[in-house]
Amino acid sequence: MNPDEATIGVSEALNERRIPFILAGGYSSNFYGIPRTTHDADFVVRVSAAEFQDLPTALGRDFERIEQLSFETNTGTLRQEFQVRGTRFKVEVFKLSGDPHDQASFGWRVEADFGRTKIFLPTAEDVVIWKLRWGRPEDKEDVRNVLTVQRGKVEWPYIEQWCMQHGTFGLLNQIRETVPEI
Amino acid sequence: MANSQEQTYTPPPETQKLIDELYREEVLQARAMDPVEKMMLGGRLFEAALTFVKAGIKHQNPGASEQECERLLTERLRLQQLLENSR
Repeated sequence: MNPDEATIGVSEALNERRIPFILAGGYSSNFYGIPRTTHDADFVVRVSAAEFQDLPTALGRDFERIEQLSFETNTGTLRQEFQVRGTRFKVEVFKLSGDPHDQASFGWRVEADFGRTKIFLPTAEDVVIWKLRWGRPEDKEDVRNVLTVQRGKVEWPYIEQWCMQHGTFGLLNQIRETVPEI
Repeated sequence: MANSQEQTYTPPPETQKLIDELYREEVLQARAMDPVEKMMLGGRLFEAALTFVKAGIKHQNPGASEQECERLLTERLRLQQLLENSR
């Protein structure tokens, strides 16, 4: 199994069980920005506590759970980490939190057709908002790339509104000033 | 100290011009690509990068067995994770 098969495989498993999801992290910033390497696929799922516990069964034997339940620090949601058997590639699954922006972004998710399955992604605006909240160097680079590639297409009022609530408005403006006219 | 030095550094104008031109090319290429194909490149690039890291490990440890090289690769990836989390 390779990263493509793992990502599509998880999407298929979630779709089969009618579990709503978003493919977030590096995959979503690659979708809207400039492609870069990523060692994992991050899924956010809207499930009950019992369904979340049962994820290893849903994903099947190709995904070995290496971290059971831990807390993601930004929004305090639960996460599980899986190693894709026979590879160094990982899959992280986060339970959708009650955080207002997490909830809103789930409502705006967009669908990408893969032929044999569907993959759901956050909007470009929500990728920017999420990445600013994480604030690591690679996240800031991703924000600049998404804003540059998507220049003229993003809804600034939506981004600004959430950034003001999250305290990331200053960082947004710092990066915005570096977006070239391409 | 290191951070303030990093923030105040500005590349020479000729270097900056080259950086800007390379970035412009990257942006235009990204806009021309199919978004789904672009998205899937992340994992493929990771696999390609691993090939180079493994080659480097073998080069630095000529007598090491395949198992030892895999162990060293695991160590490298663990270190990368630690560095990412410490930023």
